[in-house]
Amino acid sequence: MDSNKKYWKGLEELNRTPEFVEKNKNEFAEPIPIEEILSGDGLSAKTPRRDFLKALGFGVGAVTLAACQRVPVHKSIPYLIKPEEVTPGVANYYSSSYEGQAILVKTREGRPIKVEGNPNDIFSKGGLSAQAQASVLDLYDVNRLKDPKLNGGEAGWSEIDAFVIKELAAIKAAGKNIRLVTSSINSPSTLAVIAEFIKQYPTAKHVTYDAVSYTGIIQANQNSFGKAVIPHYNFDKADVIVSFGADFLGTWISGEEFTRQYVSNRNNKSLESKKMSRHIQFESGMSLTGTNADNRLAIKPSEEGIAIINLYNAISGTTLPGSKKLSSKAAENAITIAAKELVAAKGKALVVAGSNDVATQVLVNAINSLLGSYGTTIDLDNPSKQYAGNDAEFVEFVNELGRGEVAGVLFLNVNPAYDYFKAKEFKDALAKARLRVSFADHDDETALVSNVIAPNHHYLESWGDANAVEGYYTVIQPTINPVYNTRQAEHSLLVWAQNPVKDYYTFVRNNWNDNLLAKGGLSGQKGWETLLQTGMIKTTPNTAGTYTFNRDLNAVAQTILTHSASIAAGDGKFELQVYQSPAIGDGKRANNPWLQELPDPVSKVTWDNFVAVSVADIKKLKLSEGDVIKITANGYTVELPVLAQPGQAQGTVSIAVGYGRTNAGPVGDNVGKNAFPFYSFRNGTFQTTAVVTEFNPTGIKSPLAQTQTHHSYEGRSVIREAKFAEYKKNPAVHSGNEKGHKNYDEESLWDVPSHDRPVYDWVMAIDLNACTGCGACVVACNAENNIPVVGKDEVRRRREMHWIRIDRYYSYEEKGENITEEYEIDKLKDDAFDNVTVVHQPMLCQHCDHAPCETVCPVLATVHSSEGLNQMAYNRCVGTRYCANNCPYKVRRFNWFNYWNDSRFDNYLNNEHTQLVLNPDVVTRFRGVMEKCSMCVQRIQAGKLKAKIEKRPLKDGEIKMACQQTCSANAIVFGNRNDPNSEVSKALKSERTYYVLEELNVQPGIGYQVKVRNAVELEA
Amino acid sequence: MASHSESIIREPLITGNDITYGQITDDILRPVENMPSKAWWIGFTVASLGALLWVFSISYTFWYGIGSWGLNKTVGWAWDITGFVWWVGIGHAGTLISAVLLLFRQNWRNSINRSAEAMTIFAVICAATYIGAHMGRPWMAVYSLPLPNQYGSLWVNFNSPLIWDVFAISTYFSVSLVFWYTGLLPDMASIRDRATGIRRRIYSVASFGWTGSVKTWQRFETVSLILAGLSTPLVLSVHTIVSMDFATSLEPGWHTTIFPPYFVAGAIFSGFAMVQTLLLVTRKVLGLENYITMFHIESMNKIILVTGSVVGVAYITEFFIAYYSGGEYEQYTFLNRFIGPYWWAACMMYGCNVLMTQMMWSKKVRTNIPISWVLSIIVNIGMWFERFVIIVVSLHRDYIPSSWAMFYPTWVDVGVFVGSIGIFFTMFLLFIRVMPSVAIAEVKLLLKSASEQAKKKQIAEGHLDPAHVEFYKENLIKFDSIDHSEYEKA
Repeated sequence: MDSNKKYWKGLEELNRTPEFVEKNKNEFAEPIPIEEILSGDGLSAKTPRRDFLKALGFGVGAVTLAACQRVPVHKSIPYLIKPEEVTPGVANYYSSSYEGQAILVKTREGRPIKVEGNPNDIFSKGGLSAQAQASVLDLYDVNRLKDPKLNGGEAGWSEIDAFVIKELAAIKAAGKNIRLVTSSINSPSTLAVIAEFIKQYPTAKHVTYDAVSYTGIIQANQNSFGKAVIPHYNFDKADVIVSFGADFLGTWISGEEFTRQYVSNRNNKSLESKKMSRHIQFESGMSLTGTNADNRLAIKPSEEGIAIINLYNAISGTTLPGSKKLSSKAAENAITIAAKELVAAKGKALVVAGSNDVATQVLVNAINSLLGSYGTTIDLDNPSKQYAGNDAEFVEFVNELGRGEVAGVLFLNVNPAYDYFKAKEFKDALAKARLRVSFADHDDETALVSNVIAPNHHYLESWGDANAVEGYYTVIQPTINPVYNTRQAEHSLLVWAQNPVKDYYTFVRNNWNDNLLAKGGLSGQKGWETLLQTGMIKTTPNTAGTYTFNRDLNAVAQTILTHSASIAAGDGKFELQVYQSPAIGDGKRANNPWLQELPDPVSKVTWDNFVAVSVADIKKLKLSEGDVIKITANGYTVELPVLAQPGQAQGTVSIAVGYGRTNAGPVGDNVGKNAFPFYSFRNGTFQTTAVVTEFNPTGIKSPLAQTQTHHSYEGRSVIREAKFAEYKKNPAVHSGNEKGHKNYDEESLWDVPSHDRPVYDWVMAIDLNACTGCGACVVACNAENNIPVVGKDEVRRRREMHWIRIDRYYSYEEKGENITEEYEIDKLKDDAFDNVTVVHQPMLCQHCDHAPCETVCPVLATVHSSEGLNQMAYNRCVGTRYCANNCPYKVRRFNWFNYWNDSRFDNYLNNEHTQLVLNPDVVTRFRGVMEKCSMCVQRIQAGKLKAKIEKRPLKDGEIKMACQQTCSANAIVFGNRNDPNSEVSKALKSERTYYVLEELNVQPGIGYQVKVRNAVELEA
Repeated sequence: MASHSESIIREPLITGNDITYGQITDDILRPVENMPSKAWWIGFTVASLGALLWVFSISYTFWYGIGSWGLNKTVGWAWDITGFVWWVGIGHAGTLISAVLLLFRQNWRNSINRSAEAMTIFAVICAATYIGAHMGRPWMAVYSLPLPNQYGSLWVNFNSPLIWDVFAISTYFSVSLVFWYTGLLPDMASIRDRATGIRRRIYSVASFGWTGSVKTWQRFETVSLILAGLSTPLVLSVHTIVSMDFATSLEPGWHTTIFPPYFVAGAIFSGFAMVQTLLLVTRKVLGLENYITMFHIESMNKIILVTGSVVGVAYITEFFIAYYSGGEYEQYTFLNRFIGPYWWAACMMYGCNVLMTQMMWSKKVRTNIPISWVLSIIVNIGMWFERFVIIVVSLHRDYIPSSWAMFYPTWVDVGVFVGSIGIFFTMFLLFIRVMPSVAIAEVKLLLKSASEQAKKKQIAEGHLDPAHVEFYKENLIKFDSIDHSEYEKA
């Protein structure tokens, strides 16, 4: 039964009024003002009270929805399938090669983080230069080119290849010339690639150009003996070394190798057998080598040739025409004595000259021939292949460019737009070539004027090989996948040469299989794998033959004298000499902040070059350090601050090259001024000296960022030195141990509880006679311990963070007295500043057994370990800096800013990519905490762990400190004092060993060995 | 004559005519109960600007790091610890005046102890800000307290003088604060009794329900004495321990056994100088000349002279010991003060502290208000330089010459220091607005008005022997603000 009942809600519904019917059609009786709200007016209107909940609801809903957006996910890829060779937390080492020197590359989880020397390397036997140490940072340089470029825009490799091949084909068809300009290449495979390229393009020619060139030596040897090579020098076989401006411990040819050789005749072992070489240096500016010389004579560049002539005269007993006396009596005297010494050491003598002048080098060859050096200290049959640059060839190339004869140029590892002395002329001429290819990995000065940039790999991403010395082959293997879209230059050349083998790895393999492996007695896949493990093959060296010089010297002497006269400045004028600083070198690595912040070993200046002027001239001209000088020579002018350099020859100034880059990257740009334009081209070679035509103060002051501003040791026993003659009589002379090693604990007021060191007592010995002060240890420490770079301004504020530094002290000889105190130095006569002797002292945390820092820390953030180490607990440090104040050695470093994350303050490591270079075993330190040398505690732990896993006791020498490892001079020995047979225990027992500030009874853990000088008495 | 002479060898400590207890309360509470004067507003504006500078400089330091100061690898402390020691030193006079002089019954202290104690507290606050601010990671400052923690037995380093410092300064501050506030209680009650409305309620709470009963007074006296006994060793201990921050170190120029007495003397010296600086202005501006009299000024000048000379002897001793010890590094450090690049700082130190204060042997100088004020400022400058010389000039050239360096302050260094002076004066100016700057209750103890008025009446009525009156008069002549006319009538 259906109900007929009707329910109604109101009379309107019952009556069904027209209005009601109308309204009821819609879902809502009252219209909702949706349109009104959504149209501009409704939304912009003030939310009425009734709409509050609506607005709230919408707001919450909208925010919730918005919040549902996924947070960005940072993907880290786990080793789902773990590569067999990678264990997270365990480093892998790969052998490779840096500039021909065998190295080991330490990688962690697939990224190279440190470069270490290969102990089997023939050059430095495990040592490595500062530049090599710093090279790993270049890999992570975010300013490297990320893609190839065509006509200034980014392009793909296929576009590049198509363009270059088309252009090359067109050039070949037109019969125009192609030039491949490279720096010295000794890699057999690269040379083979170039040969292939030239085979394809017969108009191509390989031009070798070195910014700092040794053409003079190469041509002199061609001239004298018919061999266009740089000989292999054996400083270890030389008892007497005379050097004319050759910085052979620093930048000259093979500094690391020569350091090892040189020190082997001067270190503790040599001294104990009562042997020490004698080294006399004649030079204008103070070089690293000059600081190590037993006698150092300051002479002007224009007198260097005359000095060599006089030495020749004194040795040969003849007189070359045009000979004249040197202006300095002391130098003249020294020449006579040097001649006597050299003759007495015949067969064990060596004379070297840094000059790039052919005639000068010919004369040096003549002297060496008289001294019987060939076959002993000089080896012409196993020559060095490190430099092969030909200056005249390059100048001719620029001329060809200017004449429009060259249509295609390829630049590999050269940057003439920066370092050619007539860069503008070069650039103008270059514009006439239609194809200009640069393989630079940065937008450098030359890349900027090229139309194709085909960025090369970093060497740690590359395959390759090197043959730096006759019979010594090293291999380069990649340790990481290419980071950016770069391609190895050799690969590019093979592609452009349309070679059947395009892959450079295959090319290298084939080359080794066919030509090289057999030299090392290897073959096949197994041989290749062995090579990759050892990193090198050494063939039996050729017998070093004796060579006799028998050419006429009259013309040579004449050339030298004319040349000298042309660079001699008149009275009151300066002669300019440009040189390389060991840190920056020729400027190719100018964008490396570790190197920019590495203090120059002599001046201790960072982040700048400067005009080094003698102290006497500074006083005469009433200048003070940091005054900016306008200096003109060879028609080129720069403004640079002056530095008062003791030992600088009066009337000369020195300026370092490698600075003033304009397109190196944010680090290297506009640091200092370019000194390459001061070069000139004379007698077929580049010359590094010039006459200063203008030298005027600008009135501007630009303080140099020096890490050391007080240069004398104030007669303090911090430095102890002795003469070799005294040492021979009593090895303990001047060491404070004349009556045996003193125990200051006996004089202590308190009963000091002896610290229990049951197993290990880690200590160090540093031989001041071995340390040359080069600073490689500083960079090695930077890389190992994640030490921040602070920049020029902060160095000026004396806030560099280096855990190890090299203190360099000058002292002056006056009347046989060693003047070291400030107020006495102030009273010295001007000429006395030429008679400067230098000592280098590596200074780092001494890990004192009674550490003054430990007692004053309020929060126990720095404490002593049971292994004799002074340790820092960064997390506990509150940063009162009391420990640093109380450290007598001032080796503690405070994090003044948050160096790793401060946008206001770019230390060039402030980005995620560059931070991949960090050593994961060492934490980075936050702002406000103290840090200092930890004695590479992570290495100690790793070494102990390894021994433990292998269930054996730790071996002496198994753990090496980063600074020790990179030291070619082996000046640093580290080890366990509890083991009486350890190297370090033996070194510390030496009579020469003293401890810096031992009288404070802080019981430092680092023993220093007295500096010994084998100076010859020059006062005749 | 002597037989019937009464003793008036005690100088009256409050001068002026017909001072009554009521008038004392009125005089002292005038700044508290009235709108501030124009001078106060000017002073307060300047001081607050200084305080703002401090806030800005400290915030800047916290935001960017200690690197915004001029410190470097060689000079790890400079204006920060100089400022800290300077303020702690200034904070010394308060306790000395309130505790030691109380124990020695030196009643004249009653007029100046309140301001001196307030000054102590504000100075110690300023010093304490430096303890926090100079830390690299101030948010970890809690590590310097021996708190139980979950790191095993990880305590603070009880060997470190910085830990002793934490204890010394916090003890000193808390005892000084309690002592000061205890003294304030009866005066707060006085304000309460005279105030109405909300002020009355605030001061009622602040006076801790002081009733003024005999028992209350008795307990008050007892507590004051006990606190005085407790604080007295602190006068010696605080700056002794501050000096040990230096003396226990290895740094030549710091490592000196004379430091504790030398620092304590220096602290009292600078503290009194600061009290002098403040009170010479305060007594004028607040019209308290009757309570802080020439007698006080001269007494404080005498203390400045004595302590300044003690400091001078300490300086000479340091030099002698440096010479006599034969210690090469120490000899150089002291020589370097004169021949080194900071010779001018040493000249400021020795000149201001020793040479200038020797002028106070002359009574004319001691009783000359403008000269006294200038000298007090000079002493404050000299003492700042003393700490600067000890800290920076010792550090900048110590053992290893390669690390010798110069220190150049940045604007932040200056801002924090100048700002801390602003903070100090802001607090001091607020203090004189809300609390009596002279201890009312204690000053009333010094008032001898009833006997004085009786004496005058006797003279006026001719009851006294004229010779006796003459003797009495002569003895009064030397006091500055006494109106002699009443006595002339006799």
